[in-house]
Amino acid sequence: MTTTSPSARTPEFRLLATPLVLFLLVFLGFPAIVNLVYSVSHVSFETLRSPQLSGFSNFAAVWNDTAFWRSVWFSLRFGALTALLECGLGLFLAIFLSPLIVKRSWLLAILMLPLMVAPALVGLMYRLVLHEFVGPVPHYLWIWFGTGVSFLGPGSAFWTLVAVETLQWTPFALLLFYMAYQAIPADIGEAAAIDGAGPLRRLWRIELPLMAPTIVAALLIRFIDGFRVFDNVYVLTGSGPGGATASLSIYIYEAFFKQRAIGKAVAASVLLFAASFAVLYGLNALATRRKGAAA
Amino acid sequence: MITALRWLVFAIAALAMNFPILVTLATSFKSARELSTNPGLWVQAPTLANYLTVFQVTDRLNIALYLFNSMVAALTGTVLAVVLALPAAYAIARGRVGERTLLPLIVNLRAVPLIIFAIPLYMMFQWLALLDTRLGLGLILTIVNLPLALIILVNAIRELPAELDEAAQIDGAGRTRTLVRIIAPMCRPAIVTSLIFGFITAWNEFLFGLMLTTSKAVPITVGASFFFAASGGGVQWGVASAVMIVGALPPVLLGLVMYRQISGSMTAGAVKG
Repeated sequence: MTTTSPSARTPEFRLLATPLVLFLLVFLGFPAIVNLVYSVSHVSFETLRSPQLSGFSNFAAVWNDTAFWRSVWFSLRFGALTALLECGLGLFLAIFLSPLIVKRSWLLAILMLPLMVAPALVGLMYRLVLHEFVGPVPHYLWIWFGTGVSFLGPGSAFWTLVAVETLQWTPFALLLFYMAYQAIPADIGEAAAIDGAGPLRRLWRIELPLMAPTIVAALLIRFIDGFRVFDNVYVLTGSGPGGATASLSIYIYEAFFKQRAIGKAVAASVLLFAASFAVLYGLNALATRRKGAAA
Repeated sequence: MITALRWLVFAIAALAMNFPILVTLATSFKSARELSTNPGLWVQAPTLANYLTVFQVTDRLNIALYLFNSMVAALTGTVLAVVLALPAAYAIARGRVGERTLLPLIVNLRAVPLIIFAIPLYMMFQWLALLDTRLGLGLILTIVNLPLALIILVNAIRELPAELDEAAQIDGAGRTRTLVRIIAPMCRPAIVTSLIFGFITAWNEFLFGLMLTTSKAVPITVGASFFFAASGGGVQWGVASAVMIVGALPPVLLGLVMYRQISGSMTAGAVKG
């Protein structure tokens, strides 16, 4: 045995990383290649194993499909709106409720509960909550206000879904912000108080800037999750009414399983892959440059 | 005064965010007769009849099987992810193998919409006869769990003092032996956190369960949605509610018991990742 420093790249280290690399090659590398090949092929369920190269016609079909662009628009709008609402609400609740939670951490468990339930089940639960005969929301709306709202109808389905997503995932933002808020050293606030800064001023000038990295991270994570939403939307509205609530994930799913248009579904996947790769690459480059500037 | 206001806000927030769960819980205790007359939150004559019905197997719905499928697939996806991630995390943190490529690749995987791999995986599973099997679903759930497991474990190993490894090296232990005998026991809290997180995520997964299973390996999240589609003469809301409560229970109980670990590592995963 040679005496190597702990940071040396020994063959044994490579060996330890090998199972993971092999697993990724089989379950992500191979599918990625299949995606690329099939996206430029003519393929159907009958000719799955013998795709015929067909140039970029699949991409053209997706590009010229208004339903595709409608789903892109839905996903962008849904991701941005829910991320903003969740982070705004979460930030307010984290700071306003922190004096209560500091003394009784079990309050956090109650607020975190929605995060533990499958989004698909929460979606199904809202089928019950909003049901016109057995659901309590229409019931109490009728008793107290004498009105009825069609929550999953053409005009309101989008907003209902935004509310469902926001109510389930605000706790995630709340949790991150509460942790970041607690991590602010107490003496910073005390020093500012001695200098005569009021609570609002301290919040604006000291605490929020210190929490900024967490806020950015939370906005990003929630946007990504909102953008790729599938479960709760799928069980609540399918994609209806009339395709108005099809997210990009649902568009790809339906192209494959309902229309059996493999080429189109795969081409849309490749476009989505390219777009996420570009965005992530840009974000990583930005983060590295930030770190470089800070060091 | 301000404290009272804080409690009021807490009560409203807790009620609003947990509202669907509370409604479903209340409905699961209502009899069929009460359901048709009382859509409110208050249960007049609580009954357990719906929960007994849940486990009666019909030819189309088998809730016990769906729960078993979820359990097996989620455990497979959770344990396998940690088994694959731990040695790799050690190699990344100590050997600096793949620190520039493998780590960022997997971390970014968390931000990629996984649906883009779903169609080729569906075809691949068809060739490998893994469609509608618990093992197949477990393998996919491994991919879903890998990013967070790797982040948590790499961070944990980086925080261990390097002298530990050096001492083991001097004693003549190889890297693998050091990992098994020293590093893994020291990382036990991080391993437990990855397992809890992985289990909750895997149990709650829906998209791949929907695409890759049809009958034998259907997980509960998908099985519960069958329940809504299956009954032609209208949904039996009481039984459906009991199904949803039973299906939500394992991750919820785990989460309530372990909420401290979860809240801590959620932050770590978000900010460092």
